[in-house]
Amino acid sequence: MSRLNPFAKLPGLNAASVLLVENEEHFQQSLAEALVKETSVTVNVRLAKSFPLPVENDESRPRIDLVVFIINLTSELSFQSAEASLKYLEPGYFLGKVCFMVSNARSSSVPAERLDAVRRLAASLHCPLLFAEDQTQQGVTNAAERLLTILKVAAGFVPFTTSLCLSNLTRSTLPPDIDQPSFD
Amino acid sequence: MEPLGESVMRTPHNGAVVQRRSKTRSYRRSYRSCLGTTSRLCLTPALTTRRLNASRRAVKPQTLTERVDPAHLALLVKSEWQLSYVTPLYQFRHTQLKSYSKQLSAFIVAERQQGLAVEVSELQNSYRVSLSVLQGLTESENDPETVLIQIHSKPLFAKQDEPQRSVWSGWLTCIQGSPEYLCSLSKDFTCLPLFGSRGPEYLSRVVKSWFQKTFDCCFGPLEINHTSLQWFVALWVDCHSQSNIQHLKMLWTVPAEPPLQIMYTVDPQDAWDLWNSVKKEEAAKEAEEVGCIELEEVSGYLEALKSHFYRHFRLDLSAGILTQVSTALGLAKDTGRIKMSNSRHVIATLTLLTECALLKMPI
Repeated sequence: MSRLNPFAKLPGLNAASVLLVENEEHFQQSLAEALVKETSVTVNVRLAKSFPLPVENDESRPRIDLVVFIINLTSELSFQSAEASLKYLEPGYFLGKVCFMVSNARSSSVPAERLDAVRRLAASLHCPLLFAEDQTQQGVTNAAERLLTILKVAAGFVPFTTSLCLSNLTRSTLPPDIDQPSFD
Repeated sequence: MEPLGESVMRTPHNGAVVQRRSKTRSYRRSYRSCLGTTSRLCLTPALTTRRLNASRRAVKPQTLTERVDPAHLALLVKSEWQLSYVTPLYQFRHTQLKSYSKQLSAFIVAERQQGLAVEVSELQNSYRVSLSVLQGLTESENDPETVLIQIHSKPLFAKQDEPQRSVWSGWLTCIQGSPEYLCSLSKDFTCLPLFGSRGPEYLSRVVKSWFQKTFDCCFGPLEINHTSLQWFVALWVDCHSQSNIQHLKMLWTVPAEPPLQIMYTVDPQDAWDLWNSVKKEEAAKEAEEVGCIELEEVSGYLEALKSHFYRHFRLDLSAGILTQVSTALGLAKDTGRIKMSNSRHVIATLTLLTECALLKMPI
């Protein structure tokens, strides 16, 4: 099983590559369009539904600086597919080059357990957890801006900051009462 | 531990000590702890817990006819109710219901004069409001009695002796609310977290604004989330041996292009057989767990239904959203509408909904 390796290739000149992984393939389109609008660096956005990635693209794929898992909380399948994709990444990615983005967290049909499960996953992998609003243009723009901040660090464009250093500051932690037992 | 023959649905005792307990002592302290927990996105209150019970006692149907007035019971089961949650009411007295009725009718009249409570097609002559206590629904001694609100009126061109029809009804209830929470409230507050209403929207709005003004409480929409709908499926299917559920229908919305709505109907006997195979062996359980339904069993049951669907149609229902669950015992929609069709299971349904309301309440 071939895993994605963060350091196997040379980086492009003034370029940053991000891989958006989403099971529904819906939010990643609008997010990609917002990301490529960035002018100071060349942002390559690659889209995927899930891992493993197709083998035939291995040669032409640039070095992926940041892998973003987009999880739509209204469907269980989204979370399960993201979880199943994690094993196709080399451990080197989890030093700040993986990010989780969650959409529809405020929807009323979402049970609290699903969000807790995503938090636990992000906290156990020491990855940042971002919440995004994908229905409005403003929400997509905001999400893209936050991703670009992390992407620029991961691609090495910010002096004196590496993604490992940033991940120590941005990693998600579990709220202290996440294991709160229910009513007795 | 009560004997198994008791037909109550009580949330089982958890041996683990809840650290939160120290924070539930006073109202002021709970406000401070609210400020500290701002990082969570969902409406998780600081006093009450973050999620529903992981296990519940199985439902025993109870004939309520000897405890509750049959007319009231008939009113509860015949129609679909829109649910809201209510924060605790300040200085609400069950003894002053008559004066509350008068105040509410005066308020409705005032609103109509201001032009806020009028619908063009229905020009009613006068409204008569009655608030009454629905005795007999509560299970534990901590629960305040259920309050029933009815608005009657006569159409504009009616004869003198024509009886007034009920145009709007609603109820405020608390069935087996968390005793820890109920005891932690100060004496002036009455906690009736679940509000159901049926009737024209403008009247619901007027009643809610009257309650908000008089008792300093807040109303909010109560949606039934995915986990609660799963619990309804399990509780209703579990009752099949006592009252025939006749069918199990689930409505799923799948985000295909165009969006697809799937009504998944299961034969009652098949649903019952599947439920029995998913439930753990009775003998293997501890003495106090017999009769309890665990969350794992519930999610296992839904997983089994979804995988059966997948085997036949190659469509994974996990990608969609469960929007509606219905059996002969009742109907539950995720927008917050509930219909309890069988009077023997009203208590069980209301207990689950009370828990949902307490969870959703911002205090």
